[in-house]
Amino acid sequence: MYSVVILAGGTGSRMHREVPKQFLALAGKPMILHTLERLERIDRVGEVIVACHSQYKDLLKMHIAAYMLKKPYTIVDGGETRQQSAWFGVQAAKYEDVIIHEAARPFVTTGEFQALMDCEADSATYGLDIPFTVSVQKDGMIGGILERDSLVNIQLPQKFKRTPLLAAYDQAAKDGLIFTEDTSLLYHYTNAPIRVLPGTPNNIKVTDSVDLIAGEAIYREYIVGRD
Amino acid sequence: MRTCIITGAGSGIGRAAAIAVAEAGEFEYLALIGRSMDKLEETKSRMQTVSRVELFAYDLGDLEGIPALVERIYGETGQIDCLLNIAGYTDPQPLLTTTLESMRLTYETNVFAPFMLIRECTKYMRLNQDGAKILNVASTAGITPRPGWLSYASSKAAVVSMSQTLAEELAEYGIRVYCISPGRCATALRRKLAPNEDQSKIMQPEDVGRIICQLVSRSEHCLDGQNIVVRKKL
Repeated sequence: MYSVVILAGGTGSRMHREVPKQFLALAGKPMILHTLERLERIDRVGEVIVACHSQYKDLLKMHIAAYMLKKPYTIVDGGETRQQSAWFGVQAAKYEDVIIHEAARPFVTTGEFQALMDCEADSATYGLDIPFTVSVQKDGMIGGILERDSLVNIQLPQKFKRTPLLAAYDQAAKDGLIFTEDTSLLYHYTNAPIRVLPGTPNNIKVTDSVDLIAGEAIYREYIVGRD
Repeated sequence: MRTCIITGAGSGIGRAAAIAVAEAGEFEYLALIGRSMDKLEETKSRMQTVSRVELFAYDLGDLEGIPALVERIYGETGQIDCLLNIAGYTDPQPLLTTTLESMRLTYETNVFAPFMLIRECTKYMRLNQDGAKILNVASTAGITPRPGWLSYASSKAAVVSMSQTLAEELAEYGIRVYCISPGRCATALRRKLAPNEDQSKIMQPEDVGRIICQLVSRSEHCLDGQNIVVRKKL
């Protein structure tokens, strides 16, 4: 069985909204519900842990009740950083197999969760080829060239073993290091093999207001049409 | 047990649809809802089916009781596969004699009760592996101006809008939402709207009932999410 940690600790500051983006309506329902409803249909999901700012816990509980979600839910405080939120969530997990996803990626499919669970590797992430050029910038000038073929655009969800991941969080806290996502953290401290599964361009992270507009089209064409 | 709930089953289009759906045999359990048990019994007596047919004498104006009604049906069958919102009410009046009470009664039956039924049924339909269907009966009165029928026409416009909105909102659950807008049809409701009309020359409830039956059959999967006008041309 898996513990699934959902990162929903944002406060909406980047999108300049009164409520965090994970609670904004997307295709008629709060963004976070898209993921939670899909998790509901996966038998191997033993529990769901949501890392959420304390101000929005009651709102989240209300949605969980209204959508009649039956999985065991634990709502933990979001941290000051994304890494801290993930740490709090993984700490609360009761299973050794843990999946981390973020509420701002509402177009993940049940199939992607299933494929992640089916993957034989202990640690795995979704990743997408980079179709554009990425260069190093230094003082407003091109400072180096990166080989596009060796790069990957990391996407969530990701899966890990809980014990080594917690150790990595611990060590990062002691070292004062902050990583933008958890495969980087685990790789930095353990060099553990982390499988990259092919992601999809539809699994966008809703970051700006324009993503909500694009998201409506992705939902209609990709999720309703194929999920 | 594949289950279909039909409102307004005691007369008119509701009765005709219930009989057609029963004969088609796609559902093992039919829940017929209507205000009069006598009329529901009459509908049942005209059915030729091996399906289980249960009658629920219920006034849909009692909105608060709808969740318990749906829960009771679900408790008996373990699944809900189809909901036909057919019950209708009309009290045709020009604007200046339309009372708030008349408006309220019309919207209770034509809009609020379907809304409550859809919401409650969706809670269970979402759990189905092979989806579900909802069909709402609107009216051509909801898509063209009808002076003197303000409450009825506007309530049916709401049904069209509600259907189209929910067709998209519920698509991810595999729930298809259909909306039909019958034109002139020989029913008691139509008699209130057009008292002097020769009903032998207009569309009959059985015509509409057959179309409803076709739409909710398992083989139909193209016509949801749009307002389907059902009108006899000759």
